[in-house]
Amino acid sequence: MRALAIARASTRRIIRDRTALFFLLVLPIIVIIIVGATVRGFSTFRVGVDSVGSGAAGQRIVTALDHSRGIDIAIYTDQKSLTTALARGEISVGVLLPAGLDAVESEAKPATVTIFAEQVNSAQQAAATAVSSVILGQGALVQSASFAAAHSSSSYNQALALATSLQGTTPHVGLRNVSADTSASTLPQGYSYSAPTELVLFVFLSALAGGAAIIETRRLGMYERMLAGPVRARTIIAGEALTYFLLALVQSALIIVVGAIAFGVSWGNPLAAAALVITWALVGAGAGLLSGTLFRTPEQASAIGPTAGIALAMLGGCMWPLSIVSTTMREIGHVTPQAWAVDAWTSLLSRHGTITTIAPQLGVLAAFAVVLLSVSSLRLYQRLR
Amino acid sequence: MRTALLIARKDLRQRMRDRSAIVLGLVAPLLIAALMSFAFKGTETFHYQLGVVNEDHGAIATELVHALSSSTSRSILTVENLSSPAAARADVHDGHVAAALVIPAGFSAAVAQQHPESLSIVTSVNNQVAGNVTRSIAASFVAQIDADRLSVMTALAGGAPANTLNALSAKAATLRIPLQSVERPIGAGQLSAISYYSPAMAIFFLLFTISFASRSFFVDRTQGMIERMRAAPVRPAEILAGKALSVLVYGTLSLATVGVITSTAFGANWGSPFAAVLLGFAMVISVVCLTALVIGVARTQRQAEGFSSILVFGLALLGGNFIVISSSPPLMRTLALFTPNGEAMRGFSDLSTIGGGLGTVATPIAVILLFSALTGGAAMALARRAVS
Amino acid sequence: MAAMPDGPLLRCEKLRRSFGDRAAVDGISLSISPGEIYGLLGPNGAGKTTMIKMVCGLLEPDGGEVTVGGRHVSTDLSVKSLIGYVPQDIALYPDLTASENLSFIARLYKLTSDVVRERVAEVLELCELSDRANDRVDSFSGGMKRRLNIGAGLLHHPQLLVLDEPTVGVDPQSRHSILERVQEFGRTGMAVLYTTHYMEEAERVCNRVGIIDHGRLIAEGTRRELVERLGERDRIELSATGNLEAFAAACRALPGVDSVATTADAVQVVASDGRRMLPHLLEAGEPIDVTVNAIDVTEPNLETVFLHLTGTALRD
Repeated sequence: MRALAIARASTRRIIRDRTALFFLLVLPIIVIIIVGATVRGFSTFRVGVDSVGSGAAGQRIVTALDHSRGIDIAIYTDQKSLTTALARGEISVGVLLPAGLDAVESEAKPATVTIFAEQVNSAQQAAATAVSSVILGQGALVQSASFAAAHSSSSYNQALALATSLQGTTPHVGLRNVSADTSASTLPQGYSYSAPTELVLFVFLSALAGGAAIIETRRLGMYERMLAGPVRARTIIAGEALTYFLLALVQSALIIVVGAIAFGVSWGNPLAAAALVITWALVGAGAGLLSGTLFRTPEQASAIGPTAGIALAMLGGCMWPLSIVSTTMREIGHVTPQAWAVDAWTSLLSRHGTITTIAPQLGVLAAFAVVLLSVSSLRLYQRLR
Repeated sequence: MRTALLIARKDLRQRMRDRSAIVLGLVAPLLIAALMSFAFKGTETFHYQLGVVNEDHGAIATELVHALSSSTSRSILTVENLSSPAAARADVHDGHVAAALVIPAGFSAAVAQQHPESLSIVTSVNNQVAGNVTRSIAASFVAQIDADRLSVMTALAGGAPANTLNALSAKAATLRIPLQSVERPIGAGQLSAISYYSPAMAIFFLLFTISFASRSFFVDRTQGMIERMRAAPVRPAEILAGKALSVLVYGTLSLATVGVITSTAFGANWGSPFAAVLLGFAMVISVVCLTALVIGVARTQRQAEGFSSILVFGLALLGGNFIVISSSPPLMRTLALFTPNGEAMRGFSDLSTIGGGLGTVATPIAVILLFSALTGGAAMALARRAVS
Repeated sequence: MAAMPDGPLLRCEKLRRSFGDRAAVDGISLSISPGEIYGLLGPNGAGKTTMIKMVCGLLEPDGGEVTVGGRHVSTDLSVKSLIGYVPQDIALYPDLTASENLSFIARLYKLTSDVVRERVAEVLELCELSDRANDRVDSFSGGMKRRLNIGAGLLHHPQLLVLDEPTVGVDPQSRHSILERVQEFGRTGMAVLYTTHYMEEAERVCNRVGIIDHGRLIAEGTRRELVERLGERDRIELSATGNLEAFAAACRALPGVDSVATTADAVQVVASDGRRMLPHLLEAGEPIDVTVNAIDVTEPNLETVFLHLTGTALRD
């Protein structure tokens, strides 16, 4: 099978190229680690606290914040570094505990805690409301202790201890969470987010950039040499397509294995995942061949290829979930194959999807693969003739 | 100097003739920044529809609905009255409202009693923030009622006679939790996606100049052009200066064009123009030095291509050109500050949010220049070898 | 232009240069006067290119000195304006046009804009490329690029033109015109240093020839002087099959044979009287089963000289 020989030669050339290997194998893993480490903790708010001079009462609030579920605190020692951290987005919200908070307890003097947050920022708003209810909870204790100290024989501190122990058992207006049973429209956070999206991104991007190899081979006159022998143009096309398909599969397999073993990503239904990986590798092979016929020089392919790959990945929801963009952008995004692939992965990872549930996406992706492969084969065929 | 200018001009002419250079220097950053801006248009201000089912219609329920439609809440949510809990679930499920609050019948009557009714918050996994915000608003609303009940119970537990319950309850009802919070904006601008990604992409594609320029150097050398220059009365330093100058001009042009277009057409906020220009220029200088380093380290065109692409992507990843580095773990935030582009990104974000002028970016500029001095110094020693 | 001093324009004194422990150039002295075309001949790796690079100031000699017009090349940058360098490989930007390439190179020599314009037009004319001035070099044929490559070395009207194998890979027609042009340069008073593989080129254009081998100048003089050094000697080429090395050894042992060299399919013998030697040479082949297929006896020429001096044929 001569196509296999061509694929072997092409693959060998790519594997010998250490830079290509870096982009094929190392870079995706690094990106998965970085993005995975960053896209986590949406459910925990990072709260910066400046409690300098707020005394024991202030310390109690810090402890209460620290013990609240969904809040991570970071201590700052002056207001400027607190607001700077907030401005830079290193914390979701800044809490400034006023000096002399103890007076609230000793002299029953009302005090106000400043929460630095911007009204227009959703994450900051959510964090601010969470912080605010913790503070009100602490305030409730102070109010109860002062009230009890005034109307009973207990001292303030005794009453505070009493109030703290009673807070859990005293009946209160409950807040019940009712889930609307919506199915998740986004991928889970952390590595389960970064691994599938980067898989979609890199397989496509590497293929586009890899088109340079086809142009190079053409320039070197290798195709002419092959055609001078008893090799048909379609055998060459098959060989090259096979190369890109195999590389895409290897890259996908690496990401899946590393994702599963090192980062604990559960890739969902194995059959469906395998079908998706294979279909996506076909799309990648088509894109690689197309890039090899679309650009004139290898430099163009390796410059424009990654740019186009990144742009399509952005449109298609590999860089951020399409659920956060406007409806128009979401619709535009589904012009790219990436959007359908991410949708399918979301179904597999977030909604226990099976091959039946992702059948529509697989269908669309298969159509993409057929169109890309046939258009690029045709173009390559014309160039070889 | 004239010769350096001549070489720089020739290099620039070649660069401008190369379509991929235009794509990388101009089209790509603008395209991607524009994409970002369209993608996030209208999603940066937080606002949601809250479905409210009021099955109680009592005084406290009315007060709660009022609070939800008050001026403070109005900026983040719009109340939509729904008929039943089932309708609320359906609407949240279908995404017509982001979350819903159900006030059960008898809520107002029971609120101060031993066994108050619970409020229900209908949430969706796709809009957890809306659910959390609704929950916190409701919690804050009932906090006073709960605090008053807790005050009475504490007093009783602390030894107040049981028969004073009613009197205590009446007194407690007048209390106000002594610890309140107030939200205050810090006055820093919001770091909008376009304001972050415009410099991020401009710098990312500026970094590509390293690949281009180092490649062009080795192409020049294999073509015998470096030798031809050296056969002329031209000093090696002049050749290097010419090459550096062309990178400097090309980088500055690319960065400046992206800056001007993104700020005028897409509304990116680059902060004080003077400070932004200086910071950008420092970044370009570091790119010049990195280019020199690649030329010094690499021995062939192929090596130069390899080194520079790894360098470009490594720096872009660490420095936060792909992801907003400030929301990453502290270790990565620290690492970012060891890269010139990470420092530049920190500087540009600060200019956009904190504002200010040169003072805001003095540290980033200093660090970038120090970085440039180190790489440039190392490169100088190595690059002389490359020329001679 | 500086006033031309009397005597040689280029003077190389005991030039030495090593790469590692291999001496590429080992104490070569030579000089070229204005109007003189000096051919530097030598097999591959003899040190020709190293010599040229030291002459043009592209390579620092380990020892000895190069002066052009009495000034040191390694210390005086302005000397380079006296030298025109034509590299062996085509050194032009493929993505710039012919006139852009020329005007860039001309400006490297710090010529004023007016002069640059004038010279570019002049060189384009000389290269017969005036009508292609604004076409990119990568659209040129091999011969056109060669011509432009040489033209680029003439822009600043050098007094010394250094050509490193300018005719390698050039079609016969272009080669002819290049050689003609080189001879013209000599007539206009330019000193030319010319390296080549092709003996017939050197015979045709060079006034004086230096033969280098293993980094040493082993003979120097006009063509006539060199040939005379050999005396009335003939070169006999015996195309043969069989053990040529053994055959060469047998020939070498014969009285009256001065030197013997082998190529892939022939043994070359230099002898004082070729015709008389022939039968003896043929006899020498018999006992070792060497069959001589063709015999060619030539009068002494540079190639014979070269063979005699280096023991190897130039083109192998």
